[in-house]
Amino acid sequence: MSQNKIGVDQWVEQYDQRVNKAKGLQGFIARTSQRLPPWGWLIVLVAVGALLPVITQNNFAIRIAGNIALMGTLALGLNVVVGYAGLLDLGFVAFYGIGAYTYAYLSSDFSGVHLPTWVSLPIIIVISALFGLVLGSPSLRLLGDYLAIVTLGFGQIFVQLMTSLTRVSLPGHERPVDLTGGPNGIINLDKLSLFGFTARTVTDHYLILLVVLAVALLVIYHLNRSRIGRAWRALREDELAAEAMGMPTRRLKLQAFAIGAAVAGFSGALFAGWQGSVFPANFDTTLLISVYAIIVLGGLGSLPGVVVGSIVMVAAPDILRDVTLAGTLFYVGVLVTLIGAIRPRWQTALLIGLVVVFGVIVRLIVGALDAQALAEPQLSNSLITNTVRSWLIIPVNATIIGNYAFGLLILMVLGVSRIKHSVWRLAALVPTLYVLIFVWETRLSQEPSVTRLLFVGVLLIVLMIYRPNGLLGQKRVEIV
Amino acid sequence: MALFELQNVSKHFGGLQVVSNLSLAVEQGEIVSLIGPNGAGKTTVLNLITGLYAPDAGKIVFDGRSIAGKDVHQITRLGIARTFQNLRLFLNMSIIENVMSAAYARTSANWFQIILRTPGFWKEEQHIRAVAEQKLAFFGERLVGYRFEQPAYSLSYANRRRLEIARALMTEPKLLLLDEPAAGMNPKETQEVTELIGKLRDELGLTIILIEHDMGVVGGISDRVIALDHGEKIAEGSFEAVATDPLVIEAYLGRNENMVRK
Ligand SMILES: Nc1ncnc2c1ncn2[C@@H]1O[C@H](COP(=O)(O)OP(=O)(O)OP(=O)(O)O)[C@@H](O)[C@H]1O
Ligand SMILES: [Mg+2]
Repeated sequence: MSQNKIGVDQWVEQYDQRVNKAKGLQGFIARTSQRLPPWGWLIVLVAVGALLPVITQNNFAIRIAGNIALMGTLALGLNVVVGYAGLLDLGFVAFYGIGAYTYAYLSSDFSGVHLPTWVSLPIIIVISALFGLVLGSPSLRLLGDYLAIVTLGFGQIFVQLMTSLTRVSLPGHERPVDLTGGPNGIINLDKLSLFGFTARTVTDHYLILLVVLAVALLVIYHLNRSRIGRAWRALREDELAAEAMGMPTRRLKLQAFAIGAAVAGFSGALFAGWQGSVFPANFDTTLLISVYAIIVLGGLGSLPGVVVGSIVMVAAPDILRDVTLAGTLFYVGVLVTLIGAIRPRWQTALLIGLVVVFGVIVRLIVGALDAQALAEPQLSNSLITNTVRSWLIIPVNATIIGNYAFGLLILMVLGVSRIKHSVWRLAALVPTLYVLIFVWETRLSQEPSVTRLLFVGVLLIVLMIYRPNGLLGQKRVEIV
Repeated sequence: MALFELQNVSKHFGGLQVVSNLSLAVEQGEIVSLIGPNGAGKTTVLNLITGLYAPDAGKIVFDGRSIAGKDVHQITRLGIARTFQNLRLFLNMSIIENVMSAAYARTSANWFQIILRTPGFWKEEQHIRAVAEQKLAFFGERLVGYRFEQPAYSLSYANRRRLEIARALMTEPKLLLLDEPAAGMNPKETQEVTELIGKLRDELGLTIILIEHDMGVVGGISDRVIALDHGEKIAEGSFEAVATDPLVIEAYLGRNENMVRK
């Protein structure tokens, strides 16, 4: 590259000049993003977010957006604990649960208490933070892996307790008392009510969650850019050096733990209010994995990363429920990957042409051998799918053949990745792509539940290969 | 009265007596060098002073009070700062943040002020930054300007050593402990470090304990030299006196002839 002619120092020094000279949309975005202060970004976020209910009355879409905001807020809390302070806390979701159950106790017939949300929220924040402190103080003596295991245990214990504390003998009560509602949880919670306004529709909840996310982003951003945030990150980088530079590392870790717990508890309360009920199963390991996936995907320690991460992690599985959308996403994904991976570009076009020709030939051969083996293609309402099915073969017993093809596909992909010579690789890609499309059409598009997980898994793997530090994460160096 | 004193301090690891019955005193404004062959226990002495290790026996007195048994960060707060022999920077933080982070003990903005960005917070933050820039400016042009926002891992070895010193200075110490500040530097940079240590004493009024293998640095700057071997003090006095002491020569020659450079 031509830039290498000047020294690295100069290259860095000239960053501003380059940004100012950059042309077109890219340059515009780079310049604006530099000038816009953080609260400017927040205003953009809220404004764009608030447009959604104006554009669409589709409750499905608004619900997804609400989920994104909720998961984003939750992930922000984890980002403090893991991304800033570097504490691998696998019991994090329990604090979400504690917040949710506390909300249930403070606003339902289960306990007979009915506090408005703006009164109960501060209480919930304090209680969750206290739990964070109580659980943090013994476990923070542990290092790394040990901390992870102990906190994982804590998360499990929480779910267990909520499931089983249904017959507890308390002094002053003759019969055993049900403290948690067991696996059936606590239902009919009060609606979220803030200063006389009660959230009823999906849109109400969405707007509240959007504002909450924005406020949480601002608070965490401010904490990060301060003596406390710097100390957190210093302690993540090198605990001993941080301590030697006058930072009370134990106290700082506890503070990180407590603020993470407070944010989680707060989001848990909003979750409970929105869902109108709480169940132990809401707080199991699946949720833990999703939250971790969000911050890892977005880039540990990056705030915009949390937002992007939760958009991807929440929206992708929901969108993929829809077969037509999933198909479009699949073909667009394949196309983008091809364009990105193959240079020069005309080879991509050639490749696609060859795949179609290959498909037509296969169709002719199979038709000549055994015409009854082919099923009539079912037309769908997707243009892409119909175009593909016009030259692809769909066998009668698609399930079995599709399964075999799936195995074959894995072998072919492994094989192609070994071929170094570009012409041969291109040639080998033709049947591989054909089988890929075949497997998609015969098998995967028929099973959305499997496809969704597969999609998210593949997405994470591909992303981590190309961007090991997450979408918006900064480059991280361990030892140099 | 001396600013800093070790009184009969001992430390062992398993069966290995690393520091035995060591006493030394450092006066305000002095530059004292600790020398000795590899494994003599020099770094261990620094670790004892900064509280990373607790001494088995003996007293450590700083500014008139005993500091043995205090937490590491408390000792730093009292006014003792150090650098590390094997560089321990916050590699993924920017250069300016590496330095600013060390102001933690000297600043007081609380959660409320930080979250609400009160005027008090801004005042303190700007002050921290200004002081940090000033500490970095101590090293001339090398660490200033566009460099501020670069991550610490992008620095060269010599610059990392400088950054560590700047970070230590940010804690506003009275006593500065430098563990081989010239290690891995070329002759010109070594010369610069020597001058810089003098400047730290003359301009900032620091008291300095220096561990260094480069006898040029030690001879050029020390008011007093203390030689250790097997954790015991084998000689103390002016550089000339210690460097010609038969025990010291034997300690170096006995193990590693290359160590005697001058
Ligand atoms: N934490 C520890 N556990 C066990 N042994 C240790 C520990 N720290 C130091 N030692 C041992 O104590 C002895 C003195 O080590 P120290 O690092 O103080 O030497 P040094 O004089 O700084 O040497 P160098 O010039 O190589 O830096 C060495 O033999 C070392 O192996
Ligand atoms: Mg040493």
